[in-house]
Amino acid sequence: MTTPEVKRKVRRLDELAQSVPPPRDLWPAIALGIEAHERELKQSGESQAPGAAKRRPAWWMPAMGMAAAVALVSIGVFIGQRTSTVAPSLVAGTQQTGDPAMVQAALRDANYRKQRDALLVEVNNRLKSMPEDDRAKVAASLKTLQRSISDIEAALGKDPANALLQELLVNSCQEEMRALTAVRDSGSQET
Amino acid sequence: MSEFRFKKLALLIACALPAGAPMTAMADSDSVDRKVAAEANGEVVITNVSGTVDVRGWDRNEVQVTGTLGSGVERVDVDSSGGRTVVKVVLPHRGAHDGDADIEVQVPKNSSIDVSAVSADVSSRGVLGAQRLKSVSGEVTADISGNDSNVSSVSGDVTVRGVGKPDSLRVSSVSGSLDVTNFGGKLEVVTVSGDARVSASEATEIRGRTTSGNLELRGKLSKDARVDVEGVSGDLLLHLAAPGPLGLELESFSGDIEGCLAKGVERVSKYGPGVRLSQRNVENGPRIRAKTLSGDIDVCDK
Repeated sequence: MTTPEVKRKVRRLDELAQSVPPPRDLWPAIALGIEAHERELKQSGESQAPGAAKRRPAWWMPAMGMAAAVALVSIGVFIGQRTSTVAPSLVAGTQQTGDPAMVQAALRDANYRKQRDALLVEVNNRLKSMPEDDRAKVAASLKTLQRSISDIEAALGKDPANALLQELLVNSCQEEMRALTAVRDSGSQET
Repeated sequence: MSEFRFKKLALLIACALPAGAPMTAMADSDSVDRKVAAEANGEVVITNVSGTVDVRGWDRNEVQVTGTLGSGVERVDVDSSGGRTVVKVVLPHRGAHDGDADIEVQVPKNSSIDVSAVSADVSSRGVLGAQRLKSVSGEVTADISGNDSNVSSVSGDVTVRGVGKPDSLRVSSVSGSLDVTNFGGKLEVVTVSGDARVSASEATEIRGRTTSGNLELRGKLSKDARVDVEGVSGDLLLHLAAPGPLGLELESFSGDIEGCLAKGVERVSKYGPGVRLSQRNVENGPRIRAKTLSGDIDVCDK
């Protein structure tokens, strides 16, 4: 839909706009049609009764009504789709089929998880070769990072639209990757 | 016959003992003393697994390596070509953690240095070029004056002193503590669980991030300085004086905002958690942006 007012959340039917403009302005085409009809009448020499012009709009009124009805149904479908699909995806982080942006995001997410899992294997190998004290300190820090990400995700589950939590989650995931990479690469000096 | 054999054996042992003793001593503790010509503004790369690395800037266009080597150390390579000098402590095989080497490396004072260590402690003093100092579990102590310097550790503590106000510096650790003093310019400080303390002197930009460690920023900001810090469960202490009024944009999901500037703190939502403090009445001038999940924010301009 193109009208900006449909982007806000509507919780009750009576919150819907009372008058909804059609997706495009129908009047120019109608005006052209009237003018053409009048020209035809003039050319055929047919005399017009007073008030006839007032009655003529009646033929396009149903078209206008149909357009408004279609627009209203479209808004309803749109709102229904938004409320039934988008909110759960923010919570669970799962993809919805049919939306290319969501599919791409899911692919990115899968790729991220794959890279992270591979990195974790290397990090665990690296941790095994560390002295016990260092291993304990570093492992505790990595657990802290993971726990903080879980905490943010849990908070986001209750408040999915919170911009602060979204930002913290993104930054924490980036920080975790940086820390894992630093630990993995920490053995490179030994070669 | 048996008496003759016994005397011969005793003689052999007596001869062998004095010869063997110095060899053992050499293997236990050897020393290194190498000197090569180097460019005044060149790069010096130093690698040592364990022990210590002390880098000192001096006025000569030479790199000198001195120190003692443990029994597990095979040799120390010192090569210089094309403005790049490489000092590498070589261990006989991968993973030989008993190979301590305590080395002091004198470098031309305008050199840039790149030091990598595993458990070795690293220190530097008197070096004016960029410094990249990295240790896994060793402590890093450095006087930094060069631009684009980077000091990092995994579990070791880091202490950095700004000398001559370097333009940009990044200091990071996973579980070690960070201590940065007398810093002016652009600073990025990142820690996961270690605490970080920064004493700023006319800082122009500070970016900080902590997960569970506490982050303290004290000192002075320059005109138009930008501070952008973030914590998850760690507390943020921001006691920063500025030449003009501070613009503030602070928010915490479940922590508190306090301190002498914490006037006008409001709830983010009537029904949910979260507090924020926004003072955007300052068009120009220094600004602080800080956010946490559960950590507290203490903000003051004194």
